[in-house]
Amino acid sequence: MKYSAKTAIAVALTALLAGCGGQEETAQVRDTLIVAQGADAKTLDPHATNDQPSARVAAQIYNQLLTIDADMNVIPDLAVSWESVDANTTVFKLRQGVKFHNGEELKASDVKFTLDRMIDSPTVAHIAGTIKTVDVIDDYTIKITTHQPFGPLLYHLTHTASSILSEKAVTEAGDNYGQQPVGTGPYKFADWAAGDSISLTVNGEYFDGVQEIPNVTFRNIIEGTNRTIALETGEVDVAYDIEPIDKDTVRNHENLQLLEGESLSINYFGFNTRKKPFGDVRVRQAIGYAVNSQDIIDAVVMGSGIPTNSSISTRVFGHSPEAYKYSQDYEKARQLMVEAGYADGFKTTIWTNDNPVRVQIAQVLQAQLRKINIDMAIEVVEWGAFLDGISRGEHDTYLFGWVTVTGDADYGLYPLYHSSAHGGAGNRSFYTDTKMDQMLDAARESVNVEERKALYSDIQIQLQKELPHYPIYVGIQNVGLKKDVKGFQLSPAGHHKLKGVDFES
Amino acid sequence: MEYHLLLLSDRYPMYRFILKRLFLLLPVLLGVSLLVFAIMSFTPGDPAQLILGESAPAEAVAELREEMGLNDPFIVRYASFVGNAITGDLGRSYSTGREVFGEIASRFPNTLTLATLGVLIAIVIGVPVGIISATRQYSLIDSSSMVVALLGVSMPNFWLGLMLILVFSVNLGWLPSGGFSDWSSVILPALTLGTGSAAIITRMTRSSMLEVIRQDYIRTARAKGVAENVVINRHALKNALIPVITVIGLQFGYLLGGAVLTETVYSWPGVGRMMVDAIRQKDTPTVLGTVVFLAAAFSLVNLAVDILYGFIDPRIKSQYK
Repeated sequence: MKYSAKTAIAVALTALLAGCGGQEETAQVRDTLIVAQGADAKTLDPHATNDQPSARVAAQIYNQLLTIDADMNVIPDLAVSWESVDANTTVFKLRQGVKFHNGEELKASDVKFTLDRMIDSPTVAHIAGTIKTVDVIDDYTIKITTHQPFGPLLYHLTHTASSILSEKAVTEAGDNYGQQPVGTGPYKFADWAAGDSISLTVNGEYFDGVQEIPNVTFRNIIEGTNRTIALETGEVDVAYDIEPIDKDTVRNHENLQLLEGESLSINYFGFNTRKKPFGDVRVRQAIGYAVNSQDIIDAVVMGSGIPTNSSISTRVFGHSPEAYKYSQDYEKARQLMVEAGYADGFKTTIWTNDNPVRVQIAQVLQAQLRKINIDMAIEVVEWGAFLDGISRGEHDTYLFGWVTVTGDADYGLYPLYHSSAHGGAGNRSFYTDTKMDQMLDAARESVNVEERKALYSDIQIQLQKELPHYPIYVGIQNVGLKKDVKGFQLSPAGHHKLKGVDFES
Repeated sequence: MEYHLLLLSDRYPMYRFILKRLFLLLPVLLGVSLLVFAIMSFTPGDPAQLILGESAPAEAVAELREEMGLNDPFIVRYASFVGNAITGDLGRSYSTGREVFGEIASRFPNTLTLATLGVLIAIVIGVPVGIISATRQYSLIDSSSMVVALLGVSMPNFWLGLMLILVFSVNLGWLPSGGFSDWSSVILPALTLGTGSAAIITRMTRSSMLEVIRQDYIRTARAKGVAENVVINRHALKNALIPVITVIGLQFGYLLGGAVLTETVYSWPGVGRMMVDAIRQKDTPTVLGTVVFLAAAFSLVNLAVDILYGFIDPRIKSQYK
């Protein structure tokens, strides 16, 4: 027994010494940008998933036909120009001489292959929108035809799910493509230690200039606090999604900096308009005047949110500053309750999943509504059961979120408010209004930018009057980085591109 | 090969015992998988919806359900799982599209490393401290080690993990705070895991030892003038070890599958966390694969413990049937 104990101690000590040696070596060489995020990518096949951690890695490997700049404008990427032939047809000219990571040249046939594959994938077909056919005109020209005029098409083509794949690479890899992706992007896939990290190496033939940093590693650090710790200890250069409680630590640290920006996500308080008393617009408005978003933002997410007047973030195309912004006014709220016949208030419930942020929001709302005699019980429901229940309309009110992933108002408003989208499709308030349906349809089908903007403005103004949802806040996203990491730009969609990032020498 | 083994089993009861136990593993695994499959199928929550996220249209969810075969009857789905599992195909994960077997195989070495090192640390601390406490019952060293052991048992792993990170990574900067880069990264998680087990092993060793040293044959040995360290190490320890080994085996089995909190705190890419992530995602193939795999590992560890008894106590060996 004594013998084995000694051996074990010896092994442990040797391991300790060997380990410490190894750490020093890696600290000296600075050829790798280490990025920490809260979950491992699921797959790097853009057609097989729609989750943020995967998109954040895929964004370095792939390009799309078009992309979005920091101001949310659509700009060329693999397509250098495009032209609307008619309301249903757009022709794209491809960049010439672009090489995939496997050495193949990008051709129009790859684009057709990619978009056809996308339409066939149940996971991302909805992001392809109403694309009907994709035709190759010549090696560098492609024609996209939609079923009906589709205003948001260009935005949909900027989504990471619309990344252009190499036909040869996908066909060769078969079912394993998600673990051996091939794109045209600034970094190419190198290695994947499942559950731990993904390594990328620089693409020496990148069409838009070769990156300065030779390697990028995405590390999976689940606990938010541990991401901050890894930044502090210097184990990582960049950490996504710093916890609200750790933000000051990063801000005040001499070697670290915090970037913050408005995201495309919103959190809202929804009312089941099919149930009494939420069918009455006065009750919904009364709640609008009883709620104080800023209190929620300060108390629950420590300032990581912005009170809003719309279900879409100001970064989304079509956001309207004209829509009414509610502010707390108990007098008005009580008066509206009296008018609706609920002077003595009523009892109701709010559904939320077990996400602690949402549970705390529900608690603040509960306290705020008590002031106008609404006695709201909180029902915390497991995520799967929660989605099922609110899609079937079992709830009175509920807390939910939405991310306008395409950056276009259509994706943020149509599913939430069109009567064809009741239930699981997005309209979990079961809001029904023929005029709203017509406006949403018109805005979707218009290909005129100004006309769409005007329509979405009207829609948002009307929605704030009707208030099927009370939009609580737009999320603020953040990234913590070492001060010597230069050139990092936040993407409002959250999948930040590392192109142009460099270490300060 | 099989014939050879059977022949062996006639001559050596030990082999027959092992074979029998291995055969018994089959109904265990079948039962476990049926139970898990039923739970995954009949609890609320739609895997297709969870994969697509909350901003996905209903048609997409319905289409994905169909493609995943979720609309087939329960029996059909379970039968096809078992049929494939027999050929070693545990299916592909709903969420990552990877082969479940391959992913378990790539993560299991991490889990095994962590659990082995954790148990080693626990043994190295637990057994000697337990012996010393028992031989000096009610002394200062006994009382203080029991207090420490009580602390060790009561301390939650995630808290201890964070404290160790704070001291050794943030303040001293000696060890990485998580991930799996090189050997230095296993030390903190193994210490975190080992502490709780060490406390349990200490308490077990102490009480088992106390029982043994009160027996007549120990008194006889002492009366014969055998040196105290020989009495303890040769006569007492061997008999006291049986329950301790049982506990060590159970702890090892537990660490293989139950190290989820430690794996989460240290972002350790192990099988336990893979299982919990999969449960959240309702990723049935991965949940089934990991649970069946961990159940098998747990059973095998117990089998190994049973075999080990025989080596320590020949009386047990003679009872193998």
